[in-house]
Amino acid sequence: MKNGNLKKEFKWFTIFEYEKEEKYLREMHKSGWKFIKVKGLGIYHFEKCTPEDVIYQLDYNKEGMKNKDEYLQMFSDCGWEHLQDYAGYSYFRKPASEMNGEESIFCDEESKIQMMERVLKGRMFPLLLIFFCCLMPQFVINVSGGNYAVAATLGGIMGLYLVVFLLCAKGYFKMKNGRK
Amino acid sequence: MDQHIKKVYVPMTESAFYILFCLREENHGYGVVQKVDRLTDGAIKLAPGTMYGSLSKMEKDGVIRFIREEDKRKVYKITDLGEEVLALEIARIEKLYKISKGEIK
Repeated sequence: MKNGNLKKEFKWFTIFEYEKEEKYLREMHKSGWKFIKVKGLGIYHFEKCTPEDVIYQLDYNKEGMKNKDEYLQMFSDCGWEHLQDYAGYSYFRKPASEMNGEESIFCDEESKIQMMERVLKGRMFPLLLIFFCCLMPQFVINVSGGNYAVAATLGGIMGLYLVVFLLCAKGYFKMKNGRK
Repeated sequence: MDQHIKKVYVPMTESAFYILFCLREENHGYGVVQKVDRLTDGAIKLAPGTMYGSLSKMEKDGVIRFIREEDKRKVYKITDLGEEVLALEIARIEKLYKISKGEIK
């Protein structure tokens, strides 16, 4: 890239890996790359900055999206800067220096799980639909048609899907059972 | 009282308790955050994601109701149902406290 103050990185996070994504953005900021936006399938845009410990958080709240002004007001009142909305997620950040210990946008497990359930309802269902109504029929068509290269690609995507589903299920139950 | 409401709110989370308790007086979400910060000497910091999720859920469950909007902030107040739930929870905590002090054996 021509401008040395800007940087783009491609990163792929599955819908349940928002905590991993939060950590990634925090690490980037710590190493002097401030998040600007994410576009397309996962192109993260950064600009050079003074390294700082800044906590990044993602929320998934359709209700909040419908009442955006009031939703964002609550976050800004609590010192969280809203960055963008992407794929149903809202991105927020707050410098660790403005916190007492480490803050999160959720202060108990219950509300964290409720967010996970919103993601599950809002994102898993469309993914399952793509899996069963598009990927699987295409796979069968290509296998029976002898297009093994295409079939292998689709098979790979389906494998990835399965891994994602399993990780989601695992993460979800782990979190739910962890409370008991 | 609806058994479902009772199941969800008794016992309730600490956040839910503070929200309901503070909304005995009209207030908006951030007002509750500040009040709880004061009441607990900064020990409990209610977070915005939790607040937003809880307030919309509580409104749906009918334990609080929307009063008016003030500078993009929704002002809520506890309902009669909310008071009932809160009373049950306070009674539960009182009992817990008495047992812990050895007053009930």
